Amino acid sequence: MSAPGDVERIEQCIPALRRYAWTLFRHRDDADDLVHDCLVRALDKLHTRRDDADVRAWLFTIMHNLFVSQHRRRRSRPVTEPLDDDHEVAASLRPTQEDGLLWRDMLRGLDRLPEEQRSVVLLISVEDLSYAETAAVLGVPIGTVMSRLARGRERLREYTDSDARPALRRVK
Amino acid sequence: MSGTDRPVSEEDLHAHVDNLLPAEREPIVLRYLRENPAEAERIADYRTQREMLRAALASRTGGALPAHLNPHVLIARRQGERRMLWRAAAMVVLAFGLGGGGGWFLRETVAPPPTAISGLVRDAVANHVVYTADRRRPTELGADQRDDLARWVSNRINYKIAPPDLSDSGYRYIGGRLAATPEGPAGMFMYQNEAGVRLTVFVRPGSSAPNAPIVPVDGKPMGGCAWIEKGVGFTVVAPIPAAELRHVATEVQRLLDSRV
Repeated sequence: MSAPGDVERIEQCIPALRRYAWTLFRHRDDADDLVHDCLVRALDKLHTRRDDADVRAWLFTIMHNLFVSQHRRRRSRPVTEPLDDDHEVAASLRPTQEDGLLWRDMLRGLDRLPEEQRSVVLLISVEDLSYAETAAVLGVPIGTVMSRLARGRERLREYTDSDARPALRRVK
Repeated sequence: MSGTDRPVSEEDLHAHVDNLLPAEREPIVLRYLRENPAEAERIADYRTQREMLRAALASRTGGALPAHLNPHVLIARRQGERRMLWRAAAMVVLAFGLGGGGGWFLRETVAPPPTAISGLVRDAVANHVVYTADRRRPTELGADQRDDLARWVSNRINYKIAPPDLSDSGYRYIGGRLAATPEGPAGMFMYQNEAGVRLTVFVRPGSSAPNAPIVPVDGKPMGGCAWIEKGVGFTVVAPIPAAELRHVATEVQRLLDSRV
């Protein structure tokens, strides 16, 4: 059996895993299914884990591989669908209206990115993984991570900067 | 090439946005940005973008953890499956008549008789798992009916008790209920911390042992800290590290002792 500390550390990562999975599916149940599969796999493999590897990066790697192998085809929802699928969370959010619009625009922009760029932007900007960890999670060279990050950020910038986004223009 | 003479690269600029730039590169990047206003604007946009993504997704962590995502529950489930396999193996041994004694031996290792304390924790954990997983109606009477609950539970378990205030330990009282155990009714008080972790305090009189100090018990799917005072069993259960759980248990004991 594993050291109890490992399970606690896994537990601490679950909110981040659920958030990342939510951005992949935009649907809480689908997201939690993926997190569940990821946890079952992680607990199975816990004894094979190297002590020096960061638990967070390790869990994201498992989840990414599961997503690629099983779940990619399940992203059947059109990316332009309204984002407020989980009302409970939305209700607890209470941003100012301006913030809400900005955030919504930002998430729409994120949706327009190719998946490979979106993953990189999210793992680095939101989940605070290092460039090397992100490369390991996605199984690509670090140079690829850097170019996807650069392209993803620039594309997101163009999207949120365009005249078509009045909510963002207003704050300029 | 050393860290200070290399020209500023796109990688440097992103590392600056992500606060991942080595300290010795920071002044060089900052100077570059001062000298290139268009680049400075682009990088400022990336920074804003990063902050907004974090803000927009900060609340998307899903709220309270459902039972099927609780690693302790998942581990227990797996151990349960393994135990079932052992039981099946034991049945096979018995069925083939290869030794009743062996069968009984297996049975003993599979289900040891509960002592007063471990029985207490087992019942407390069972109720904890069932009721804390309920997001909508985890309790029978909510925090606003604290006194009603105290009266009701005290009457039913025939022992005067009220939910202790654990706010100093970071747990807010959210309500309570009467719980069922093989040894009769028990009182259950539920608390929640800021992270949404739920903790229960379980009280059951009629214990077979008169007194026992606080002991941590490795329950399944999670542990509990239990103690017995004058035949009344107390248990604190939460999916938190053992040391923290023990700290809360000590606090509960102190508060309950000081109420008379």
